[in-house]
Amino acid sequence: MLEVEDLSVAYGGVAALDGVSLRIPNNGITAVLGPNGAGKSTLLRTIAGLVRPRAGRVLYRDRLLTGMSPEAIVRAGVSLVPEGGGIIRELTVEENLRLAHLWRRDPADLRKALDEVMALFPPLAARRHLPAHSLSGGERQMLAVGRALMSRAELLLLDEPSLGLAPKLVSLIMRTVRDLRATRGVSVLLVEQNARSALSIADEALLLSSGRAVAWRRAGELVHEEELWHAYLGY
Amino acid sequence: MSYFVVLTLTGVAAGMIYSALALALVLIWRATRVVNFSQGAMAMTTTYIALAVIQATGNYWFGFIAALAAGLVMGAVAERAIVRWVEKGPPLNAVIVTLGLLLVLEAVVPMIGGAQIRAFPAPFSIAATAVGSTFIALSPFNIFTIAVVLLVMVALLVLFRFTSLGLRMRAAAFAPEIARLLGVRVGRLLTFGWSLATMAGALAGLLVAPTLLLYPNNMDAVLVYGFTAAVLGGLDSPVGALVGGLSIGLALSYIGGYFGGDLETAGVLVILIAILMIWPKGLFVHAAERRV
Repeated sequence: MLEVEDLSVAYGGVAALDGVSLRIPNNGITAVLGPNGAGKSTLLRTIAGLVRPRAGRVLYRDRLLTGMSPEAIVRAGVSLVPEGGGIIRELTVEENLRLAHLWRRDPADLRKALDEVMALFPPLAARRHLPAHSLSGGERQMLAVGRALMSRAELLLLDEPSLGLAPKLVSLIMRTVRDLRATRGVSVLLVEQNARSALSIADEALLLSSGRAVAWRRAGELVHEEELWHAYLGY
Repeated sequence: MSYFVVLTLTGVAAGMIYSALALALVLIWRATRVVNFSQGAMAMTTTYIALAVIQATGNYWFGFIAALAAGLVMGAVAERAIVRWVEKGPPLNAVIVTLGLLLVLEAVVPMIGGAQIRAFPAPFSIAATAVGSTFIALSPFNIFTIAVVLLVMVALLVLFRFTSLGLRMRAAAFAPEIARLLGVRVGRLLTFGWSLATMAGALAGLLVAPTLLLYPNNMDAVLVYGFTAAVLGGLDSPVGALVGGLSIGLALSYIGGYFGGDLETAGVLVILIAILMIWPKGLFVHAAERRV
């Protein structure tokens, strides 16, 4: 479904990604793991079109995404949930959600999608007319994921959805992601510092370090590779 | 009618014009974080276009519409052709570019339209109205000015608050990168923001010309008052632009009326400095900081 080929990115001469390749199957959950500064967020931001790669390319359903604008990539069905959720604080909960669907120009489907997200995340329904900055950390992540669903994206790029959340909320978010795969058939590329919770729902995992891919394993196998685990994931 | 009431009414009418120009500055600031110092010169240019159309057709309203349409186009062209190229650089670059545009317009327009001072027609009488035996300080044209600026303000409020285009424009202004990730074509909306703003500026130009007359730098003082009004209102809020414009209009009118016209400009500057010392960010800033 998504193919990343030999992607290299540099920020002002400093390499952030160096020849990374990746393939995400239809309806799969792939985790991207690695220490701080490994290039995980850069990988997602490059796929989403926010960062221009120096070399390499990204294909989605055999369509070349590289060089496309972020707004065109969303329209192609790929939605990035940036670190921290990227909610627009000044807008209300409902405005945040509606915004993600507007480009479809289908008011009937917009109401339907809104109802679906409200049903999926009841705390958002209770706060739908409040400004988004009044939400708690967990609610913000719900809003961020709900917003990605509003666009009816088929591939979700999730950047650290569990960052700063209490363990109970982390498992709620992970469960939600797993359920979305089952009920809506979405595919997920999941960047996480929290390797164990990511591996609990992922099929495969890519291990990044200093911008290079160091391992590409089935999620179940990586858990048992103590050497890799100690060298790159720290515990 | 008491002198105070007269000064108040004329202050409100003038303040509405400063509000329109302040609104133009605010719309551009919200969209692209640029203070457009060429706003006055652009309004002067569209007013020259209006005068040419009025002279050719003999109808004020054709000129009125032509000026607003020219504002829409000029704003879009300025954003696409000039501002977009300097937006990514240091903020000062964009400011210098708008100052350059001001100088270019004030030099080129008189080459085409002539540098002499011209009279500009008003669609309604600019003489005070008589109701029975008492005169009201407001002329029919003053009333038209107040009504049309209020109408524009309400239309913009409806646009921003209640339409999906307005929702997209707010999102593009608050968080451009996030908006793009949600499929909002931010680039087009910024261009549209400049168009709307320049149209508001064109309106200010049309409304001020009958009393101020038309010449290549007739908007310079209006730009200063409009900018002061926008800063008073927090540079970010259309409602702030309205309140700021009215405050400046009233302050100018009272100072001119009670202390003499020579003190008007100095008095406004004193008020501006005093207010900004108390509320450094202006009167109408949002509690939450933008562009985190």
